[in-house]
Parts: sequence; structure tokens; C-alpha cells
Amino acid sequence: MALGKIKADTLEHSTAGSLDTQYVVNGSAKAHASYAGSGTSFSSSFNCSSAVDNGAGKYSVNLSSALSATAQVTPIGSCNVNGDSSTTATTTIVVSTSAYKTNTSNDQGSFTDAAGVFSVLMGDLA
Amino acid sequence: MTVTPEFQGTHLFDRLCWAKENLEPHQSDYRVVYEDKIDECAKILVPDPNWMACALQGGILPPVQVYWELAKDEAQPDFVKHTRGHLLHNTEPVEAMTEEQAIEYLIMKDCPQHVWRDYDSGNKPKMVICRKEQLPATREWRNAWKISEELATDETVAA
Repeated sequence: MALGKIKADTLEHSTAGSLDTQYVVNGSAKAHASYAGSGTSFSSSFNCSSAVDNGAGKYSVNLSSALSATAQVTPIGSCNVNGDSSTTATTTIVVSTSAYKTNTSNDQGSFTDAAGVFSVLMGDLA
Repeated sequence: MTVTPEFQGTHLFDRLCWAKENLEPHQSDYRVVYEDKIDECAKILVPDPNWMACALQGGILPPVQVYWELAKDEAQPDFVKHTRGHLLHNTEPVEAMTEEQAIEYLIMKDCPQHVWRDYDSGNKPKMVICRKEQLPATREWRNAWKISEELATDETVAA
């Protein structure tokens, strides 16, 4: 890329101390997705190639730039509460280095569509 | 028109950062409906607008075969971590695609191979590309949706 580069191993603040830049690189989210629970159309995303509507309250997201391993990945998910039913829980799991699933369920534990589904993925890239 | 920099050898994640900053997302009307397992409902794949912008722009995404190679590695029983991630970054990027070509690429990347390799060889199609208007208008009985056995491309394709 024809862009300028700043190379540094450490960032140092005048009073608050210093931070190794590997914390910044490794600690950044590697993907995020925000989409409607019914219809799965994206409203905001990064590093995603597609979302799949697997059924009521069941979704998966496919990645463009794959992760290096599944064991070192932390997906985080949340959802909007529907106006007419109480969608309360999300479960987000990594299924491969290039896909993860998010399920949303109501307070009885049944999979239910949420108004909005949000997820963030942490980990190392391949 | 935005010109894509020479990206071969640049990390794919960095290319996606460039695309997010420089390209307008493209919301596709296409949807891919497929049946993965016989006892499960039809699944609906929706393209990501930022990814679609990359596909239409060209010079950003790696060839789809790269993803197949990584999937092969991951399918090995002793797989721990990708050691050929460089294929994503060092393989020559694909040229600009039409929206239809991009959907075909996406099917080969994100749908299970057993679905798209012989999608039309059974009693009815296992996969259909349609427009979002052809899907049912409401989510009623979502977990029972199947690809219509009397498929006509100008009608609703799942019910």
C-alpha cells in the first residue's frame, strides 16, 4: 500500500505510563457485524463476506480475512429486545476460522428472532 | 473512479481497511437460498455490502481457491493453527466481478461444497439464487421453510 507508516514498539504517555503496541494490534477487534434479526441485512460490518439466516433466532457470519485458529478466539454477541417479545439472550460460538454463529433466544429459552443482532470477534488473523 | 492500489503481498485485513475507507458499500438484492441438511429448514445467505464493494472493485479479494486450501488444512485432524495464511495475502487478487459473478464466488466460498457442487442433481434443487422480493414477506413458520418443489424463478422461491 502506498501509505505512510509509523513503526513503534511502545507508546509512552507523559504521565500515565507506556503501552507495548502489540497490545493494540492483538487487542483490536478483527470483525464486527450488525444486522437485522429478520432478514439478516447488514447495517454495519467489517471483515464479513456474508451472513446466513439459519432459521428463527439462528444466524452465522462468514469472514473475509480468516483467523489463525479457532481455539484463541473470543466472539461477543448481543441483541435488541423485540417490541412484542422479550428476546433476552445471545450465544455466539466460533465454528471455524472463517465463520461464527450467533443464536438469540427468549426468556423461555426458545430461539427467537431479535430486532437487531450485534457481534464482535477478537483473536489473531491468519 | 477509485483506483485500487497494487495489493498483492498486502495483508487482506489491510486491504479491507482500505476498502472500508474508499469504497461505497453495495447492498445486493440477491439472496442465496440453500438446503444444507434434509431435516433442517432452508438457509438464506445475504452478501455483505462492504464485501460486495470489494468484489465489484477488483484487485482486493484473493481467488476463491485460496479459501478452499485453508479449509482443507483446517479439516485435518491434527490442525491447530493456519500456517498457510500467506495464501490470502500473497496470491494475486481477482479482477473486478459483475454482481452475478460475485454471487457465484460467494456461493463457492461460503456455502458448503456438498450443496453447490451438485445443487441440481436430486429430485429438486438444493440451492437457488433469487432476489429478496422473492422470499416470503413475513417470517411466519420460518423453521419450516423449504425450497419450493414447483420452482419458478419469477415467483416466491421458499414457503
